[in-house]
Amino acid sequence: MGESNEDIDQMFSTLLGEMDLLTQSLNALEDQDLDALMADLVADISEAEQRTIQAQKESFQNQSHFAPPETSAHSSAACHGDAAHAASITISQCEGDLPPPPADPVLDLPLPPPPPEPLSQEEEEALAKADKIKLALEKLKEAKVKKLVVKVHMFDNSTKSLMVDERQLARDVLDNLFEKTHCDCSVDWCLYETYPELQIERFFEDHENVVEVLSDWTRDTENKVLFLKKEEKYAVFKNPQNFYLDNKGKKENKETSEKMNAKNKEYLLEESFCGTSVLVPELEGALYLKEDGKKSWKRRYFLLRASGIYYVPKGKTKTSRDLACFIQFENVNIYYGIQCKMKYKAPTDYCFVLKHPQIQKESQYIRHLCCDDAHTLHQWVMGIRIAKYGKTLYDNYQRAVARAGLASRWTNLGTVNTATPAQPSTGTSSSQPNGQIPQTIPSVSAGLQEAQRHETIKVSKVRSPHKHILAEEMAQQLRCLPAKPKDPGGTSIWNWRPPVPPKRQENPGLPSAGAGGEQDFMSDLMKALQKRGHMP
Amino acid sequence: MAGMKTASGDYIDSSWELRVFVGEEDPEAQSVTLRVTGESHIGGVLLKIVEQINRKQDWSDHAIWWEQKKQWLLQTHWTLDKYGILADARLFFGPQHRPVILRLPNRRVVRLQASFSKPLFQAVAAICRLLSIRHPEELSLLRAPEKKEKKKKEKELEEEVYDLTKVVLAGGVAPALFRGMPAHFSDSAQTEACYHMLSRPQPPPDPHLLQRLPRPSSLSDKTQLHSRWLDSSRCLMQQGVMAGDVLWLRFKYYSFFDLDPKTDPVRLTQLYEQARWDLLLEEIDCTEEEMMVFAALQYHINKLSQSGELGEPASGDLGLDDLDTALNNLEVKLEGSAPTDVLDSLTTIPELKDHLRIFRPRKLTLKGYRQHWVVFKDTTLSYYKSQDDAPGDPIQQLNLKGCEVVPDVNISGQKFCIKLLVPSPEGMSEIYLRCQDEQQYAQWMAGCRLASKGRTMADSSYASEVQAILAFLSLQRAGGGGSGNHPQGPDASAEGLNPYGLVAPRFQRKFKAKQLTPRILEAHQNVAQLSLTEAQLRFIQAWQSLPDFGISYMMVRFKGSRKDEILGIANNRLIRIDLAVGDVVKTWRFSNMRQWNVNWDIRQVAIEFDEHINVAFSCVSASCRIVHEYIGGYIFLSTRERARGEELDEDLFLQLTGGHEAF
Repeated sequence: MGESNEDIDQMFSTLLGEMDLLTQSLNALEDQDLDALMADLVADISEAEQRTIQAQKESFQNQSHFAPPETSAHSSAACHGDAAHAASITISQCEGDLPPPPADPVLDLPLPPPPPEPLSQEEEEALAKADKIKLALEKLKEAKVKKLVVKVHMFDNSTKSLMVDERQLARDVLDNLFEKTHCDCSVDWCLYETYPELQIERFFEDHENVVEVLSDWTRDTENKVLFLKKEEKYAVFKNPQNFYLDNKGKKENKETSEKMNAKNKEYLLEESFCGTSVLVPELEGALYLKEDGKKSWKRRYFLLRASGIYYVPKGKTKTSRDLACFIQFENVNIYYGIQCKMKYKAPTDYCFVLKHPQIQKESQYIRHLCCDDAHTLHQWVMGIRIAKYGKTLYDNYQRAVARAGLASRWTNLGTVNTATPAQPSTGTSSSQPNGQIPQTIPSVSAGLQEAQRHETIKVSKVRSPHKHILAEEMAQQLRCLPAKPKDPGGTSIWNWRPPVPPKRQENPGLPSAGAGGEQDFMSDLMKALQKRGHMP
Repeated sequence: MAGMKTASGDYIDSSWELRVFVGEEDPEAQSVTLRVTGESHIGGVLLKIVEQINRKQDWSDHAIWWEQKKQWLLQTHWTLDKYGILADARLFFGPQHRPVILRLPNRRVVRLQASFSKPLFQAVAAICRLLSIRHPEELSLLRAPEKKEKKKKEKELEEEVYDLTKVVLAGGVAPALFRGMPAHFSDSAQTEACYHMLSRPQPPPDPHLLQRLPRPSSLSDKTQLHSRWLDSSRCLMQQGVMAGDVLWLRFKYYSFFDLDPKTDPVRLTQLYEQARWDLLLEEIDCTEEEMMVFAALQYHINKLSQSGELGEPASGDLGLDDLDTALNNLEVKLEGSAPTDVLDSLTTIPELKDHLRIFRPRKLTLKGYRQHWVVFKDTTLSYYKSQDDAPGDPIQQLNLKGCEVVPDVNISGQKFCIKLLVPSPEGMSEIYLRCQDEQQYAQWMAGCRLASKGRTMADSSYASEVQAILAFLSLQRAGGGGSGNHPQGPDASAEGLNPYGLVAPRFQRKFKAKQLTPRILEAHQNVAQLSLTEAQLRFIQAWQSLPDFGISYMMVRFKGSRKDEILGIANNRLIRIDLAVGDVVKTWRFSNMRQWNVNWDIRQVAIEFDEHINVAFSCVSASCRIVHEYIGGYIFLSTRERARGEELDEDLFLQLTGGHEAF
């Protein structure tokens, strides 16, 4: 019995130690290294890929345990920053319930790479064991968090690599990008996905989970994530009359609808979005539908309803009872079609496309529709988004406005404080599953913010078409056996530096603690990384 | 003093005799004769009447009704002269509150005391307070339609009439809650039953009854209803309503303010019922797909209300539970087994393994269903040639996340298929799973549904999902007494429920019941997890999302036009609609409206909009007072603010909706 206990202790200690190792290496990463790391990873992967072409596909789809050995060690380290925080805090607590880690990093430095000696006082043993089990659980949970390194194409044709974890929403990623680019934070900024192969593209909605969307991409995809301004994104909230009052009763009130005073706009928005149910713009008209598998287009009369798009069957009227359902929105996303005139012989270039997000190749299940003009196209796309997302769209907009307002206020005050506004509303504290988790260290240290201000991000090119690397497979590796890197210090990434105590931990939010504060974590990590770059 | 006499018995003052009938308007009624002068105050006259009757009774609710002028004499300090009453006035001394029979939005009937002397607006407010419906300004009363003489005297079903005439409402704005209902309902078993009738959804109607009920067949039919609205600014007595008459209580204005499931159980339910009947009686049209969702919601709501699951489902923190179980697992493992199992145990997920027949439709193949060994774990379905091959590579592996799950069931044919439309980068792949029996079907179906939403069978909703599927299957079994080995679902009451009661009659004609049931089942899977109030709210929202929602139709003739047209009045706009085709000709929004005038003589409404747009029309189907009241009512409702709570500016309402019509 005693012996087995020892074994377990040993096992945990080793496990924790290994995690710390990885942690430290991660903390040592500087932001610009991320791109370098990407390059290395990509090189490794493509090498590995050649050997395991068939298997790769499977592993990608299923996120199974399959991963080429070379990559696993690297990226498991790269992708477990969260665990890193947890680890370093908790260990300092184990060693005699110290007060929260002091601000000075030097004190915390000598955490040696070999595992700390397990505490073995008799009376504490049981407690320590329970603690460790919980800790290990936390870490394992953490290790399960999927993370992607995403290459984002910027508006100026440069690219940036971002680490995005599976809990982050497009809004969080945008906020992250705002911090990095010091742009104006306008509501028009959006993440944009393009599918060069299918010639379609669309906005990420701010509430969408980025990793989830990206996991639908295939391994060899040419798809890209763009960061750019699109005023169509929230056009309906700026000029609701163009969507809600247009075209009703012929063209005669066109002039009146173009200009509308702010108060009426507000009233219209409230009427449309703040009632018990969201009003979907009344939209109907003849569109061209691409016929299955052909390059021919058929003109039909379509109507938008909250429940889907309908068309008027031949010889029928457009009363509700005669309508036939064309598509419902639960399982499809809406995309803009690009240059469909060339590719599919569309009557015009104003096309929109509906497809299941997982479909990545040409397929009969992709629906192409073509409008007469750009105005109609935007009306349909916006109308469909309203029908699909409802009030969420308005909530997103209001958050975006709040974010933009915040940013401008900060600039006005002259105190560029990019660190705090990151996630204003997600911070509602999460319940703590077990009391052992380190308590909140409340305030953001001034030093961090200072560092934040001066950080510069270098962008380095990644040599491969892969836009993102799935970290889950590597995470699996960590779960089973945290492998030591073969040659520490061999690459620039693995220069071993002492770990940094987490400075900003508004939310100790170990990931299992519920959805509330989780998104904050990745940005913490990023900040910690950035900060490291400027430590002497 | 009136009635001074000389010794010979002649009156020496200017007094005269006034005859007052006691009771409601009934010429045979007992009458009293008083001696009054023009100077007599109404209060004094009332006193004398009571003295003369000489009967011990609470007369406080009684007042005098002047029949010829259709007027209550309520100002007790006014003199007869001031009212202009002479000896020939026919006056009735009767109660101001009289019983009426009220047909509620859920088509049930209550008897209650309504004020016959106050403006209808106030009378409705009092009724709503009694029924505990907030925001009475959204409701009003309609006359019951005149019954057509039936050729054969069909025996009318004796309806249960809930009697609330004895209920006394305590003062104060919000009635206190007692035993989960407003205190005035908790007095007796009858009133308690009445509250349940008010606050719980009714079971679906009998499909045959549904087919017999009148339905509008055209737009002009839809205008009929709106000609029956009573006038809000006048009292019931003035509008010729008699004690014991049948009136309809309905939501009149489709602008539902601050709908709160917690404080509004009766309001929410009645609104749901009105929406449901609107759809079932085709007052509002919807598409086939939408009808299936409505039917699924009705089925779900009925099931929940029958089984008494009124509360919200326990929504424990799943993440927490998860962790606890994981922790327990871990500890158990730590005590006993090899460390390598520890990590596996964290990811233990229930799985399904069985022999199923699988069919994959492909071009150029005629292969049918083939037996396979199928393993369903996590959200992934893998199938193998045989059980022995299972450790090896499967023939195919499908991740069901985001897939479409369509039931393909025929109970009488003992066919239990699940059609899966699984997305992949290349497109959708279609696959059919054929199960042997209901039990197996329910288990796999529930798993597929959860997986399509990205959840595993470890999810807490799995068991209830299985039960829901079994319950729904039992719907389709004629008579219910089919296979004996079928375990009892949670709601035996749902058995034998006719899907025809859930859809509008035109769908009854279009589909057979066995075609309808799977479609409702399919729609049901998206709503199966909703609680009762959530489902009701969802129903109301879906109703509100219909393009034709909330439009009240009136037949009018526009100035300068020679034909009748339809004017649709919605909460934010007026719509001119072609009577024959039903197309929208023109829309005007209230927000652009400057003013509107009613010319009572020529029954014309004239409206001025921004930029000097003028519209004028005369009313054909309904009186122009109803049109006027609708417009004014919507303007009034748009002035409501959350901050003011339930307080109502009645004067403003009457100002906006009242008028100086010559009676």
